[in-house]
Order: sequence, then structure tokens, then C-alpha cells
Amino acid sequence: MQEHLIVGVSLFSLTYLLIVSEKVNRTAIALFGAILMLIFNVEKQEVAFGHIDFNTIGLLVGMMIMVNVMKRTGIFEYMAIKTAKVSKGDPWKIVFLFSLLTGVSSALLDNVTTILLVVPVTIVIANALDLNPIPFLVPEVLIANIGGTATLIGDPPNIMIGSATGLGFMDFLINLGPIVVVIIFVTLYILKKVYGSQLIASDEKRKKILSMNEHLAIKDKSLLIKSLTVLGITIIGFMLHQSFHYESATVALLGGSFLLLISKIDPEEILMEIEWPTIFFFASLFILVGALEDVGAIEFLAGKMLLLTKGNLFFTVMFVLWGSAIASAFLDNIPFVATMIPLIKSLAVLSAINITPLWWALALGACLGGNGTLIGASANVIVSGMLKKQGYELSFGEYMKVGFPVMLVSIVLSSVYMIVFYL
Amino acid sequence: MKKLVDAEVAIQTMKLRQLGAKIRVINSKMCYVVFDLGSFKVKYAYNVNKDGNYFLERIAPYPLPLREFENEEGVVNIIEIDIEQFQNALKSHNINSFIDINQKLNKTIRKFEDLFLYYNVSEEKTSKIYNMLKEINEEIDSAKADSKRLYFKKEPENL
Repeated sequence: MQEHLIVGVSLFSLTYLLIVSEKVNRTAIALFGAILMLIFNVEKQEVAFGHIDFNTIGLLVGMMIMVNVMKRTGIFEYMAIKTAKVSKGDPWKIVFLFSLLTGVSSALLDNVTTILLVVPVTIVIANALDLNPIPFLVPEVLIANIGGTATLIGDPPNIMIGSATGLGFMDFLINLGPIVVVIIFVTLYILKKVYGSQLIASDEKRKKILSMNEHLAIKDKSLLIKSLTVLGITIIGFMLHQSFHYESATVALLGGSFLLLISKIDPEEILMEIEWPTIFFFASLFILVGALEDVGAIEFLAGKMLLLTKGNLFFTVMFVLWGSAIASAFLDNIPFVATMIPLIKSLAVLSAINITPLWWALALGACLGGNGTLIGASANVIVSGMLKKQGYELSFGEYMKVGFPVMLVSIVLSSVYMIVFYL
Repeated sequence: MKKLVDAEVAIQTMKLRQLGAKIRVINSKMCYVVFDLGSFKVKYAYNVNKDGNYFLERIAPYPLPLREFENEEGVVNIIEIDIEQFQNALKSHNINSFIDINQKLNKTIRKFEDLFLYYNVSEEKTSKIYNMLKEINEEIDSAKADSKRLYFKKEPENL
């Protein structure tokens, strides 16, 4: 047992370090680390594979199928052009409405997916207005990360927390939705102060936006109707899944497979678009963390955490909220949350502490923390890459000047919310 | 990386759709082929897609669209013949002039296109260019008649 503990902790730590160093591809090293757990007999294969949370995997795959069909309809392009025209080409109104659109979309879809759908359209709009796209995209990515915090399906950490705890779509929406709405509007107020003066366009450029035709964006009307119907039914399914005793993955996979069937698109094309590296990364992390749990390391860490917080709920919630926010601002939040989940579960075993508020603190910290730096969330990294391809440089420092204060304000607001409603 | 490429395509297609284009995005693979023939390299690019169409283009020593094929054998055959012909041509002491003339002809085509698209050229000048082109073509035909044929595996397509 002692040998297993040393080997298991060493393999986990080394893998974790290599993941956060970003020197090696995260999926490759996580998969290799997980397999080494089997090679060194830290875990038997059947036990290790049993650690893989197929509810999380199924939910991710189901939603990815739906999004990959939906993106062929042109709905996001349509909504974006329509929104820009409603704004009458006023750059700040466009930023405001696009951010709200991104926030709502990322609550229902994955943040990265939302960003990949909204950002190209935003760049075209910013080009048409002859403005730098950075003041458009930084608000979008910040609000995408905030919006994704509100629901079970909005951000991978929430999917993992929901799956591990049995907390459902409505639990997330009721407990996190209100504070997320407050944070979105406070953030937009801050962003208006930061970027307002840069968002001015001439009447001639505004007219260019008004001359755009949103109807040209719709590529397949029949597919659009099918996609929106299935998405609507799936969201209702998420709202009701606990009442019918279905797992969230069942709902997502039902929506995904049904849309795949009625869309008549070659399934190979859609399944090829699934982010398999992300899926394998999740599966590998579940094995790594499961092994760490089985060798007793998680219980040991939970004991240390109890010593530090003295079992006080207030200190523990603040520790989890601020700790996960700071960690997520600099590290990949997926392995962090994967490790925190069994740790919080162990706290419940080792003490009489009510751990439910800790799940909300973890979700808020891990999701909102990603806004802190350019490397804090995948969506930020993608926006930076897209800007670079367009010839604009969003530096780490430039992003952090806006992102970090927004993240701090979000966590202060979340702390107040947790104190008022849960402590 | 794939995500960034997808985003780039989304930006371009949105702009083109607003210009009135109908666009179909097809998953495909692009192959770059390079043969080092010593004194120069022959380079090709072809695109393979699910619909079974192969678009082949020679990039170097001078660019030339080589056709659309319905199977990969067609692509390999035409490249094989093209390379054999270049290897044959390499034996000629005129090879450098041959490549130079081809490159100049390509440049002339691009210059003529600019002339046509950017300027309102008089009928007299257009007719003069046409007659000179006719002279060049006659000179090529005359050169063919006076020269010994070297390659017989395939019939010339344009001569």
C-alpha cells in the first residue's frame, strides 16, 4: 500500500506538473500518466476504467454533436447581424448586445464553442466599422466565461461537479443564475468605462452594418428549424431530468443522436468534429484522480484542509472560492476541479460540515477564475489566437489589466452572495 | 489549430456570403508533392475530398493548373508523366531557356489580365496584341514541325 501511495502520488504530481507547464500536449501527457498508473499496478485496469465518469463524457459528446450540426445552419451569424442592425451600428451597443448574446449562448453551450461561433462574426463587424476588434472580443470572452458559470452544461467544471454530486440543471440555474446575472451587468459597466472611448464609428461605417443582410447567413432553413426544435426540447429535458430520474448525459445524448438522425448529415462528418482530445483528456484525468483517491492521498489532503480551516464552513467556503479562482486564473481548471471534487467529498466524510455550499464556491471560483489571465480559460487562448491571425496582438499584460480586476470583482460579489445566502 | 482554421474560414465565408456568394465548405486534404530533379524542384499541390474530385496544380518550376480528376490514379499518372517529361527535358541544353520562357509567359498572362481589368484599351492595341500572339503560336507550330519528338508515352494535349 505504501509503495502504491508513493508511486501513485509521484505519477499524479509529475503528470499534473507537465499539464500545467503547457510544455507538453495536455491530452498526450494525461493519457500517458493514466496508463502508467496501470503499468505500475497502482490500479487494476477494470478499477481504473471504472473511475471514468461516463456521465460527464456523454454530456460533452451529446452537446458537441448538437453544436456541430447547429453551426451548419448559420444561426449565430444571423443573430449577430440582426443584433448589430438592431444596435443601428453603434459600436458600444453592439458590444453590449453581443456580450449578452454570448453570455446566454455560453450558458446553454460550451464556452469555447460559443466563442468559436460568435468571434468570427464579431471580427467581420469590427472590420466593417473600421475598429480594432479587441474592445469587442475581450468583453465577449469575459461574459462567455461568466455566462457559462450559470448552468450545469455551460462550463466543463460544472459538468464534472453536477455529475459527481447529482446536482442537476435547475440546481445550478437557481443557485448560480442570480449571481451570474449580477456579475454580467457589473462587468459590462466596468467594460463600458474601459472601452467606451475606443468604440466610436462614423455614420458612413454604421451604414455599412445596416446594409448587411442577415438572411444571407442562413445556410439551411430546414436544418435550422430541426436544430432549434431539438435544442429547445433538450433544454426542457435538462430542466426536468431529475424529476424523471435521467442523468444529464442521457438527455444530451438523446438530443444529439436525434438531431444527427433527422439532420441527414453524414454522421462521420459530425463525429469527426467532436473534440476527441478533450474527451480523452477528461477520461485520463478521471483515471489519474481516481488512482490518487484509491491510494488515500485525497483523504490525506482533505484532512490537511480541515486542519487549515478548522472545519469552519465560512473559512472553508472562502478557501475553496478564492483558492479555485486564483488557481484557475493561472492553471487549467479541469484537472484542478477533477482533484477538488473527491477532496470536497472526503471533507463530508471526515467532518460534519455541510458541503453543498462548497460545490457552488468551487463552480464560481473555477469558472470565474478563468477570466483572470489570458491563459486562464481555453476561450481566452482561442480569442488571442484568432486576433493574432487577423494581425492584432492581445498581450498577456493587456488582457490581464482588464481581466484580472473583472475576476476580482466577480469573486468579491460571489463571496458576498455566498455569505448572504449560504453561510 | 483546427479551431483557428475553422474560425478563419468562418470569417472569410461570412464576408463572401455578404457579397452574394453561395458557399459549400467541404472537408478535404491538401497534399504537397515535391520532386528534386537536381537543378530544380518540381512541386505539385492537389486536393482530395469526399466527393471524389481531385484538383491538381503544378506550383513549380512554373505554375500550371493540371486538371480535375475523378480518382487518385489519374493524379498519380499525370504527375508520373509530368516528371518523366521534365527528366527528359533536363537532358536538353535548352532546359533553362524553356523554364525561363514559361515563367515569362505566365507573367505575360497576368500582365495582360491587369491591362484588361484596369484599363480601357483601344481596339487597335488589342488587335496588335492578338496578332503578336498569333505569331508566337505559329512559331511554336513551326518549331514543332522542325523538331524531333522525344516523348511518346502520351499524346500532347495542346499541340
